[in-house]
Amino acid sequence: MEKFMFLFRGGENHAHNAQDSKVAADNMQAWMQWMGDLAGKGILVGGEPLQPTGKQVTGTKKVVSDGPFVEAKESVGGYLIVNAKDINEAVEISKGCPIFEENGRLEVRPIQSMEM
Amino acid sequence: MKEYLLLFRGGDAESMQESAQEWQAHMQKWMHWMGGLQEKGQLVGAQPLDRGGRQVTGSKKVVTDGPFMEGKEMVGGYLMCRAENYDAAIEISKGCPILEFDDGIVELREIKELKM
Repeated sequence: MEKFMFLFRGGENHAHNAQDSKVAADNMQAWMQWMGDLAGKGILVGGEPLQPTGKQVTGTKKVVSDGPFVEAKESVGGYLIVNAKDINEAVEISKGCPIFEENGRLEVRPIQSMEM
Repeated sequence: MKEYLLLFRGGDAESMQESAQEWQAHMQKWMHWMGGLQEKGQLVGAQPLDRGGRQVTGSKKVVTDGPFMEGKEMVGGYLMCRAENYDAAIEISKGCPILEFDDGIVELREIKELKM
């Protein structure tokens, strides 16, 4: 088994984006159900949403600036780490993600193993 | 204590890898930085990401090959750490070896608590 990271971008029905609180609550429920299902199958390693704002530290001068750093639709909204046989299986797993119902997208990235 | 996700962007790893010795010395700095955080109980987890990957987009779940954006915008790895607040997390970030590159960026994002 290898590990893959999903990076979520976009998505219009998240709590901080949605106009309607019912839509946001239903969306949250769909995410919980999806993640709960992955956890039940032993696929889920971990994952959490991120606060929409943040900071950035840049270059040799270590300049600190406030976020957001990129257009909202390009900004990473959350992440998930899953176990999968290969990237094709990881892509199949990702297709169950509720972000696709809210016009979002997701990046699937193989995690390099690192010995410390 | 809060948890923060640090996303690393930029940094010319590719040209540095041309010299095995230079690359090894650079990796040593990463290990040293992360080892220090671990000793202080600040490290939650960290991994580099493979440059390749896939992207799954929108309600049609269209699968495309990466890379997905300009090299300098691409997330190259992540680290999760514990810190009292943003200021403390920024101090942690300033030790990151990606800032040896002028275009190296550490994006700091507070992780939202998720109740499952």
